[in-house]
Amino acid sequence: MKLQHYLGGLENLGPVNLEKKVFVAEWEKRIFGIHTVMMAESTHLAYALPKYPIAQVPTTFKETWTWASLRTGAESMQPFEYFKYRYYEKWLMGISQFFVDRGYVAAEELVTWTEHYRANPGAPLPEQPNPVLKEQVVRYLHRGDSGLRAPVTPVRFVVGDTVYVADPEAADHTRLPGFLRNKKGTVTEVYPGAYEYFVSTGPDGLNGPQHVYGVSFDASDIWGADKSEPHTVIYADLFDAYLQPAHEIHAKDIS
Amino acid sequence: MTSLFDYDENREAASAAKVRALEALLIKKGVLGSDSVDAVLSHFETVAGPFNGARIVARAWLDSEYKRRLLEDAPTAIAELNFPGMNGAEGEHMKAVANSESVHNLVICTLCSCYPWPVLGLPPYWYKDPVFRSRGVREPRAVLREFGVPISADKEVKVWDSSAQIRWFVIPERPANSEHLNEAQLAALVSPEAMMGVALVPALPAA
Repeated sequence: MKLQHYLGGLENLGPVNLEKKVFVAEWEKRIFGIHTVMMAESTHLAYALPKYPIAQVPTTFKETWTWASLRTGAESMQPFEYFKYRYYEKWLMGISQFFVDRGYVAAEELVTWTEHYRANPGAPLPEQPNPVLKEQVVRYLHRGDSGLRAPVTPVRFVVGDTVYVADPEAADHTRLPGFLRNKKGTVTEVYPGAYEYFVSTGPDGLNGPQHVYGVSFDASDIWGADKSEPHTVIYADLFDAYLQPAHEIHAKDIS
Repeated sequence: MTSLFDYDENREAASAAKVRALEALLIKKGVLGSDSVDAVLSHFETVAGPFNGARIVARAWLDSEYKRRLLEDAPTAIAELNFPGMNGAEGEHMKAVANSESVHNLVICTLCSCYPWPVLGLPPYWYKDPVFRSRGVREPRAVLREFGVPISADKEVKVWDSSAQIRWFVIPERPANSEHLNEAQLAALVSPEAMMGVALVPALPAA
């Protein structure tokens, strides 16, 4: 198992952090902004919903960069390292490593420039506006990047069906919360259309458009009656690949 | 052995310098313009933010038919208000759930930090913190008590884990003694925390 996939339900953590600020240090704004610009100029947007005129945007960035890129990076961290760093510290580590790995920035120049800005915190950034890219960033933020697609498979479940959550091989990336694996739930919503996740997750099961179901879980069915709070229901939106019909599970138990 | 002790004594200054170096290099290499990051940040000050969600909630409090439409089909009901960018990034597919006398809703993302950007802006720190993400699904009532929101035992707690396309938000209960307030005054009472379910909108003093 990968610990990052199993955050839900960890015990012995102490009180929650009640900090309401979005950015707890000024520098965090800049890495959030860099990531969002990367999403806004990602090459995949030429074929997205809606389609964007990415080929006309003057940028040297020729990569697919989506939430899946960032999440896969966070999920690939050594788990104890993952918990050592704050949210945007992980973004900064992952994104700067990506630019080094892909050859946009040399590791040495990043070190040199970091030393420069460390010694001169007020030193300005290069002045090189890009109005066409700026327009694309604004367009992307206003119009988004929807995963909605035409279904290619029939709907497998209807509202009220009992389902069991699958337990696929742990892959680089998943959209299946670990605490729900093998648990029994009830379909409460069948979302119209189908949804395609940004990437295939291989053996984990996401690949191409899939139906998505809203599924409810009685807290006691997840944690056990004596380990859960009363009168509590957990809902999760789950891709088709993550669900199995109850009768198949039952048949397996008997055989 | 040494790697355990090999850390920068000023972590914040190190990160600040590194992100500035990265942005500078990306500008120099044509990946970003010097106005790109500011364009993103400005969007979250003026277009996408909790000020939208608060107005949507206030409208739902004042107009029960609107609230019904919002719960049934959030994007269409939100579109009625003509705010820009409401099905933009991280709001392509949104749903609202309503607190009531019998139900309290809590929104969470145990895998990452999915959050309805157009109506709520960017997630606060607590939402992204691993402790909230871990405990929120196991002991939501205990977590809510820490936020100062005790939920009575007879009330059902519904926790919404955002793991696919939907971005969820909560219509909190309208506070007592707010009958005389107009939409803008009501909106001013609604916090991002109330629209994620970790706060209530407190009652006003009796007139």
